Amino acid sequence: MDELELLKRDWKKKENSFNQISEKEIYSMLHKTSSSIVKWILIISILEILLWSSITFFTADEEYFKTLEMYHLNTIMPIITFVNYAVILVFIYLFYKNYKAINTTESVKALMQNILKTRKTVKYYVGYNIGMAVFGFVLVFIFQFLYDPNIRTMTDKVSESMNSNLFILLIIMIYAVIIAVFVGVIWLFYKLLYGILMRRLQKNYNELSKIDF
Amino acid sequence: MRKSDEAQFVGLLKENQNIIHKICRLYTTDEDSHKDLFQEITIQLWKAYPNFRGDSKFTTWAYRVGLNTAITLYRKKKKTIDTIEFDSSFHKVKEDDYNYEEEEQLKLLYGAVNELNDIEKALVFLYLEDKDYTEISATLGISEVNARVKMNRVKGKLKKILNP
Repeated sequence: MDELELLKRDWKKKENSFNQISEKEIYSMLHKTSSSIVKWILIISILEILLWSSITFFTADEEYFKTLEMYHLNTIMPIITFVNYAVILVFIYLFYKNYKAINTTESVKALMQNILKTRKTVKYYVGYNIGMAVFGFVLVFIFQFLYDPNIRTMTDKVSESMNSNLFILLIIMIYAVIIAVFVGVIWLFYKLLYGILMRRLQKNYNELSKIDF
Repeated sequence: MRKSDEAQFVGLLKENQNIIHKICRLYTTDEDSHKDLFQEITIQLWKAYPNFRGDSKFTTWAYRVGLNTAITLYRKKKKTIDTIEFDSSFHKVKEDDYNYEEEEQLKLLYGAVNELNDIEKALVFLYLEDKDYTEISATLGISEVNARVKMNRVKGKLKKILNP
């Protein structure tokens, strides 16, 4: 078939007409996995907020609001919750932005910068959540200590036989231990959840940094 | 181990990238999808690289993985014959060997190839690459006889498209 021969001739003639891809570009193609890691960070953070808010939603019964009222937290607590969700939503937006940025990354250098940025965002996010947990616990414990009638009767009873300052110190120590345990669990939760993804990102980053600019 | 593998792979790929470019030229119609497919094939090659033992040539292996990717993994937009826009690299022809009549015919030819299905394109591609039937059958995983029969059918189909 003459036409096919003509096609073949043309095909051969244009064999070297392609814009050549550089080694750097090939490396960056191989390391597009970063985009999937960052996508997972985004997905997990969204799942996480859904989990927390559904837990709050299903456990916030009449009892809960009564307790809040008793502790005089019924006005401040909803505000804190609202602010907390707003902050988390901002973080989710930042994760989304990182994901988008990594998706459209062209150069290795830009990819590396985005990895660093993503790691920083995750670090802040985990830090914020842990800080918020500590703050929440301390707040609830203080108000519980001040307003819970059970605690007050207990305090009154104990102070008859014991130095009240010592008792307060004891209570504070018990609270501190409880907070430490809970915060430890939360820290472990985040360590597991994001730690694996962060390590992969770091590995990816280290590989990328070996490419000479 | 992994590091040196990577460097080796990148080197091999850079050296043989025209194979991938050519597959992209055949399976895509614009520069963006050319880039997309190039990247997809690169990633698939890299994923499959641990299984590449070196008992076949890198190029033979790249043909196989590249075509498989183009055929099975890559889903491109539906195109119509009237709006074919070729890769800009198609038209980088020097002024002095410009032959209007031949150009017209080539345009029709590329248009006809573009109308073929993915498997048929793969056959045309291997034909254009001067592969013999042994290699074609090995690359596409079909018997030599089958490759011959299919190739003849493709030629017939092209003729029909060109001379309706």
